[in-house]
Amino acid sequence: MRLLLVEDNVALADDLCAGLKQLGYAVDWLVDGRDAAVQGAVEPYDLIILDLGLPGKSGMEVLQEWRANQITTPVLILTARSSWSERVDGLKAGADDYLTKPFHQEELFLRVQALLRRSHGFSNQTKIQVADLQLDEERQVAVQQGKEIILTAAEFSLLRYFMLHAGKLLSKGHLEEHLYAGELEPDSNVLEVHVSHLRRKLGKSCIETRRGQGYLFTGAPE
Amino acid sequence: MRRSISRQLTLGLTAILLLAGLLVVQTSFWLLEHGVRNYSQQRLQVQSRNLLASLIRDEDDQLIVNERHHDAVFLQPFSGHYFVIELEGTRWRSRSLWDFQLLPLPQESFAQGLIPGPLGQQLLLYTGEYRYADSKIRVTVAQDYSPILASFRRAQLMGVALGFVVLLMVLLGQRWLVRKALKPLENARQQLLQLQSGQRARLEQQVPEEMQPLVEQVNRLLVHTEERLKRSRNAVGNLGHALKTPLAVLTSLLARPELQAYPELLASLTEHLQQIEQRISREMARARLSGEALPGAYFDCGQELPSLIQLMNMIHGERLQFSWQAPAQLRLPWERDDMLEMLGNVLDNAGKWARSKVQLQITQQGPHIIIHVDDDGPGIEPQRREQVQQRGTRLDEQVQGHGLGLGIVRDIVDALAGTLTLDESPFGGLRVTLCLRLP
Repeated sequence: MRLLLVEDNVALADDLCAGLKQLGYAVDWLVDGRDAAVQGAVEPYDLIILDLGLPGKSGMEVLQEWRANQITTPVLILTARSSWSERVDGLKAGADDYLTKPFHQEELFLRVQALLRRSHGFSNQTKIQVADLQLDEERQVAVQQGKEIILTAAEFSLLRYFMLHAGKLLSKGHLEEHLYAGELEPDSNVLEVHVSHLRRKLGKSCIETRRGQGYLFTGAPE
Repeated sequence: MRRSISRQLTLGLTAILLLAGLLVVQTSFWLLEHGVRNYSQQRLQVQSRNLLASLIRDEDDQLIVNERHHDAVFLQPFSGHYFVIELEGTRWRSRSLWDFQLLPLPQESFAQGLIPGPLGQQLLLYTGEYRYADSKIRVTVAQDYSPILASFRRAQLMGVALGFVVLLMVLLGQRWLVRKALKPLENARQQLLQLQSGQRARLEQQVPEEMQPLVEQVNRLLVHTEERLKRSRNAVGNLGHALKTPLAVLTSLLARPELQAYPELLASLTEHLQQIEQRISREMARARLSGEALPGAYFDCGQELPSLIQLMNMIHGERLQFSWQAPAQLRLPWERDDMLEMLGNVLDNAGKWARSKVQLQITQQGPHIIIHVDDDGPGIEPQRREQVQQRGTRLDEQVQGHGLGLGIVRDIVDALAGTLTLDESPFGGLRVTLCLRLP
């Protein structure tokens, strides 16, 4: 999961970045609204956390620009402006959720998880479930047929991405871009290693390999 | 009764026209009558002199009145023309007098006013004295004046009637003129009403030059008020941003593992940070209020409510269903931000407590807009409700949970001179009823 955080308060952004990384998200952080407008339109983010009071260009303008350019990435607005009219305006501009400052980190993280689930068709569910495999995002463990399976942080974020995109063919490049923010070495086999670990823990057939095309997550055990 | 320009003009003009009309009619009739009477009197004088010529001596050298020498009207009884001639004890009376005694005046003069005559006639009377062959001769002539008086009265009646017709026509004409001249004023009045009820944002600029400054000034004030509101809201927003971002940092710092070793410290910090935040939110919301300061502002239910409900479903959406009902095309004459803030807070508060659904219902009852927000949550017990409804009770302090949000709602409702009441909802939870009076 690759997230973009646009926030001009350094202390807050540092804290949020650290927290989000702990939850297994790859996070890019920007301060200026103009940079955000460009980068949000170019990079394939899974979710954007957008502050409204930004230097350069206001968050609302940035959001309107994205939506006008058919960028449909889910956007969570973060703002100190708590009036309902501003929230309605944010919604009309195309925001998917709204959180007012100050807030507890946990609340933001829960909102991010919920928004990601919602945007991938898991609406009104508090857990991600594919076939009989369940993912507990809070504890970062998988539950298969009542049995808990302990995951490493890297495995957890890979599995979460697979489960949110179950039944879709995902190329290696796509996965690397979304999970590691393109920070891997070109010939790295990190992804293959994690996939094989997941297969060992969850059963061989849960992730199919399509040669030359990529991976397909089915969630089927054995 | 309120003063009205057109009514005042009509009343004033009617009074002036009536007075002037009466004066003109009366004076002209008086002058005319005076002239006719003078003329008649002169004719009487001439007649009396002519009668002298009809005095002749007969074969016995006696003076007689030759009937062939005077007018035939003197022969016809009660014809209205009479004479009496007196000469040294001898009297001749016109045949027309018949049995009526006409009294001559003692000396040459006209009779004062009119003398009663036969058959109710009213006579003008003249007595002239002449010398005739060394003797004094007195000729008295009279003429019935009542036909002239009657015709005058008829003419007078017609004159008055005509006068009234003219008055009526003038008044109608004046009314039309006044209406036409005051039409821009009436238009402006209508537009001000529309402004007040939020159906219009500006006054029409195309008005006669007398009203131009007024309309321009009103429009300028409107723009000015709007801009000031926008500016002050912006300033409040900036201040909020400046205060709340550091608060967000502090709140975020509380999650640091180093602090988890001091739970008491953590709890105290959390509590105080929360208090600061609530206080700021409340005061910010209060500062953003426009209240009734802005005529021309309106809230379009059909346009705004779907977004607000969608937002509510988004915030509480995992477990709640929000719905709304309002008459089609209902426009409320209050400022959009105020209404959204008020409804948003009531709905959000209901959302915190509801189990499965929250319903917003807006109806118009006469001059009042009634807003019900129902939830199916636990509600508030009646005793507690009363305590909450008492004026001046701080809701945020008195009722836990039904806190901050309803406090702001009370502020807005107060600013709009409305009322807030808490009841039991048909769904079993709390019903918040807001009653606002249309301006």
